Amino acid sequence: MTQPHLSDDRLIEVCLLEAPSVAEQQHLGSCARCDARRARLQGLLDDVSVTAVAEADAAFPQERLTRQQARILAHLQHEGRPARVIAFPAGHPHEPMASRTRPSTRWIAAAAVAGLVIGVIAGRFGHDFPLLRRPGSAPVVVSRSAEAPELRAAGGTVTLREVSAAISDEEFLSQIEIAIDGPSTAALQPLDDLTPRAWEAR
Amino acid sequence: MNRTPPRRASSSAAGAVAPVAPLSRDSQLAAEIKALVVGGERDAARDRYGDLVAHQQRRAVRIAYQYLRDAHDADEAVQDAFIKVFVHITSYREDLPFEVWFTRILVNACLDLRKSRSRRLRWTVPMSSGNDTAPTDPAAPEQTPEQRLVSRERADEITAAVESLPDRQRTVFSLCHLAEQTTAEVSKALGLSEATVRVHLFRAVRKLRRLLEHEP
Repeated sequence: MTQPHLSDDRLIEVCLLEAPSVAEQQHLGSCARCDARRARLQGLLDDVSVTAVAEADAAFPQERLTRQQARILAHLQHEGRPARVIAFPAGHPHEPMASRTRPSTRWIAAAAVAGLVIGVIAGRFGHDFPLLRRPGSAPVVVSRSAEAPELRAAGGTVTLREVSAAISDEEFLSQIEIAIDGPSTAALQPLDDLTPRAWEAR
Repeated sequence: MNRTPPRRASSSAAGAVAPVAPLSRDSQLAAEIKALVVGGERDAARDRYGDLVAHQQRRAVRIAYQYLRDAHDADEAVQDAFIKVFVHITSYREDLPFEVWFTRILVNACLDLRKSRSRRLRWTVPMSSGNDTAPTDPAAPEQTPEQRLVSRERADEITAAVESLPDRQRTVFSLCHLAEQTTAEVSKALGLSEATVRVHLFRAVRKLRRLLEHEP
């Protein structure tokens, strides 16, 4: 009984996994076609091995392996040991605090505190006497009316007339719109076009 | 790296692992390290472990590099694997080859890294698409420039063909062929049946033949 030709899968097993049986070995010795197939497959597998090994060895030269080994062992050096606790810097409880400051420093601190107290008192005093307030600091809009005869009174006291500061939201927004539509803002329009809108920046 | 077949005996198709004859030197070393750790001699164990790392390191980076195709990732995976091995050395079974146990841990480290890498790539743009390794020239130094060019082209062709394999096939092929593991060992390492490993291996080799064999 003659041994049949080896199948492709059997050739793969023979090349990669296990030795051929005696009968297969005899067949390979006598069948040039099967032997050539086996040799070609073996050559291909060897080429793949050589290429893979050359690539890996080029990526990992000996010095890199040495560094890697050192890193592994350094890591294991700390493995299984509790973390090092760094002691909090020790204080000096017996050292008197007063000795750390110089007299001049204390005078500066006292002056600063005195200045603060005076400032608070003066602020309170000014608040209680409105005549001492500066006009610019008033929370109301003050206007000088041309019709007010008091303004024209020579040598007389100038009285200021307070107008209501409470403008409605509608008035406020309409004033903004008027200001935007004005000719002086036209130059800013290109900049406005360049600026992204909040709803576009999502 | 020419090898003459057959390189090793496979286990039976039934899946029973044949008793492995004397354990390798690294398996004995691993057993010795385990005994030292169990005995509380951790420093001595670590010293011995340096020898084990030195013996297995080259093989480990070849497997990891073939699997991950990136030197930094392969470096990281190999380090992780070696550290895990030492941390869990007490769970090593002395009756099994150390190489199989280690390969399984290494392959898992590679899998973890690939997962994290794919997550990372989903959210970031890689700075360069090229590989970080220098071009390799497996050709012999005495070759002429033309021969070297042909060798370089052939190497590129082989690399592209191996990279075109589906993940599972490439893993099985790498472990069986490059890491020289038996199908039984690979099935243990990957948690697949031995029959499945063989199917993946055959498919991988068939595809490589189709891509790389140019009929005269």
